[in-house]
Amino acid sequence: MKIPAGHQHPLSTMIAEINSIFAEIGFVFAEGPEAELEKYNFDRLNVPKDHPSRDMQDTFYFKPTDAQEPMVLRTHTSPVQARFMETNKPPIRVIVPGKVFRNEATDATHEAQFHQLEGLYVDRGVHMGHLKGTIEYFFSKFFAGDVEVRFRPSFFPFVEPGVEIDMMLRGSESKLANRWIEIMGAGMVHPHVLRDAGIDPEEFSGFAFGMGIDRLAVMKYGIDDIRNLYSGDLRFVSQF
Amino acid sequence: MKILHSWLKDYMGDATPSVQEVERIMTFSAFEIDGIEPVGVADAVIDIKILPNRSSDCLCHRGIARELSTLTGTPLSHDPFSLTPIMPETDRLVISIENGEYCRHFDLALVTGITVGPSPEWLASRLEALGQRSINNIVDATNYVMFALGQPLHAYDADKFKKDENNAWHFGVRMAKVGEAIDTLGGVRYELDPSIQLIVNGADDSPAGIAGIKGGQYAIVDAETKNIILEAGNFDPVVTRKASQKLKLSTDASKRFENNVASKVVPYALTEVVALIIKIAGGNVEGFAHARPKTMENTAVTIKKRNAEALLGISLQTETIEGIFTGLGFGYAKKDDGVFEVTAPFERTDILIEEDVIEEIGRIIGYDKVTSVMPETVPLTHINVRHYYSEKVRACLLQLGFSEVITSSFRAKDEVQLQNALASDKSYLRSTLATNLLEVLAKNTPFTDLLGMPDTRIFEIGTVFSKTDAGVVEHVALAFGVRTKVAGYTPKDDALLASVVTEVATCLGVPLHETITQGVAEVQFTNLYLSLPLPLAYEAVSKALPISYVPFSVYPAMSRDIALWVPEGTSAEAIESILNPSAGPLRVRTTLFDEFTKDGRTSFAFRLVFQAGERTLTDGEVNTVMETVYEAVSKKGWEVR
Repeated sequence: MKIPAGHQHPLSTMIAEINSIFAEIGFVFAEGPEAELEKYNFDRLNVPKDHPSRDMQDTFYFKPTDAQEPMVLRTHTSPVQARFMETNKPPIRVIVPGKVFRNEATDATHEAQFHQLEGLYVDRGVHMGHLKGTIEYFFSKFFAGDVEVRFRPSFFPFVEPGVEIDMMLRGSESKLANRWIEIMGAGMVHPHVLRDAGIDPEEFSGFAFGMGIDRLAVMKYGIDDIRNLYSGDLRFVSQF
Repeated sequence: MKILHSWLKDYMGDATPSVQEVERIMTFSAFEIDGIEPVGVADAVIDIKILPNRSSDCLCHRGIARELSTLTGTPLSHDPFSLTPIMPETDRLVISIENGEYCRHFDLALVTGITVGPSPEWLASRLEALGQRSINNIVDATNYVMFALGQPLHAYDADKFKKDENNAWHFGVRMAKVGEAIDTLGGVRYELDPSIQLIVNGADDSPAGIAGIKGGQYAIVDAETKNIILEAGNFDPVVTRKASQKLKLSTDASKRFENNVASKVVPYALTEVVALIIKIAGGNVEGFAHARPKTMENTAVTIKKRNAEALLGISLQTETIEGIFTGLGFGYAKKDDGVFEVTAPFERTDILIEEDVIEEIGRIIGYDKVTSVMPETVPLTHINVRHYYSEKVRACLLQLGFSEVITSSFRAKDEVQLQNALASDKSYLRSTLATNLLEVLAKNTPFTDLLGMPDTRIFEIGTVFSKTDAGVVEHVALAFGVRTKVAGYTPKDDALLASVVTEVATCLGVPLHETITQGVAEVQFTNLYLSLPLPLAYEAVSKALPISYVPFSVYPAMSRDIALWVPEGTSAEAIESILNPSAGPLRVRTTLFDEFTKDGRTSFAFRLVFQAGERTLTDGEVNTVMETVYEAVSKKGWEVR
């Protein structure tokens, strides 16, 4: 009997699709280590030591004896922003899909490991309208429909202003359509983050955004328990 | 932060927006709303998610009212911060502060002749609405003013607080000593160290409270208390935060100090609590004392209209900007054309740079004013080599019948241990993918019939971690494994695997240098892809098909084979159209696994797989289903072999 083709994991399918959508407008697929220096995960993102903004993310630390500098399992893909800006000059357009970790209890909607998508665009004259336009472009392609986004005020230490982004898919048959869905955090890159990476905030500005790819999978495919994404169970994977 | 809607009326009067309006205004211009709970018929508690940058001024009702006042354009009808606190001094209260950076303000008030008793109904019910237990009128008054103005307060029984040789009450603020300990309110004892700041009795140096975190048992107010000393301090955020983390003691007070509540709130809160206590517990204020080594002052921030426009992507009128500053209560001076010097009111300790001011303008003018602009399309300048070759390997393995898994990066035991894992089964990081794949293979072998696969084939591409002399290092690994038998590994698996290794090596054009363990091959993929030619462009991504996931049954599946003779030329589909309906709703899959023709007849062999969503099937019930299938087949005149 001929072997039927195997099934690709939905996260891989989504990452490939995300990459192709952003590649069309010149966003480079960048990446960085999962075992990250605390410096890049926090300090260089304007999250100082002993500041309450560190409480926003529960962090796994490596043992001090195992690392020359304090090291964490990255809590977000944002450290790649700092790394990329350090070694590249604007204009910068990158996306960073990758695995991240949070030291918290797991349930059907929370995992201690999940995938995030980071986006960063730094150039002369970048403003919040570009953020809105880029996100609308992405979701319109990703959900194959007409997507509108809106901003609400929020706070992330590495951006200023910071916003929460909601999206609405219009005129589609999808269960997601015609209602606002909270989808990601974003904002204009904080001048301290630019400056610390060697970019002059007087000359350049940029936007950054971050969202959970697992959550996108839940929305796109109707997955009921995100732990299935990491269970290795073929009864799950075989549906994709 | 829980906000009682009716409480806002103290500051906003008739201009208080309705609960629904508060929700709408907050959501789109300030904060997310975590929930709304009705209180009685006409009131509600609104749970507002105050983010770190506004926790200095908005963890209180006055702060939220001030925010609503800005956003609705109506001034507060009563602003506690607009009155000048009147604080006649008394020399019976003495304060000494060891480190003026760590304790920035420390104000005291002496109130005599009070009567401790239950709080009046209005006060108790407001606290209870916020989930606070009413204790007595004195303690409740201190809590009440904290929830009103954001300043933590503490009350001491003056008669239990030992006086010094001059018959004065002497308060000290100093770092704890090695080996020192304190019994706090509620009776819990904390061991201290010199990083933790204390309030002490200056007469005998005994600890009276953990500065900015929790009061001690010392001089506790009880039913017999007649004379009290009220304390309002302001403590360094970092010192408070470190102590709170070290003691694992997070309180309403520590949360506020960690977020840098303004030192200038101190006199307002202290006079407010004194007035409230005299109102509800009687007594007279004897006088105040203060020590203010460091008063926090907001510095002016320069903001340029064109910078605001450039960041927000909105064009702004000078008058609009000035109107926003006025609404916020920001002092401003117009410099050159379109340049302002802006100073936030003292309680806003978060306005430090131009971008902070631009954010205020953006959220108040409304982010709905931002119009979408597509960045100009530019060509892609770089191809991600890891992604490119991962995709290549995926395509190759998928076509060979391998399914992709993503397994946990955590293991119960391995090489690299984390310092602070929550669960013992995830305190190490994986050093290989193979160990995970061996487990995943074992878990999946029983599902071959259910999934219609002749055997089990999986692969993963992911990061693994190991220890070297230089510390923890990571690389991307590729692993793939097979199981030909449900029972587990057999040497036959290795033979199959060897052919797959060859195929994958052919796909990539280089040898894999794989390590093989019991039917699983692992490859150091980082080294491998770095040795491969740089790709010039990504392969096209095929349009993903719309998929709707269906939760799978966790109960075991059961298989039955049926082989039958049919006249030559009968199609497999025609047979399935008889088999499947007769097998009923428990049938989840039909797989054709054998077919041959002889003497004008064709033999087909099918495997029928049964499974229920909510229970384990019994042999008996599957046998009954099969009887129905046999019946249907014989009605067609087909012979079951």
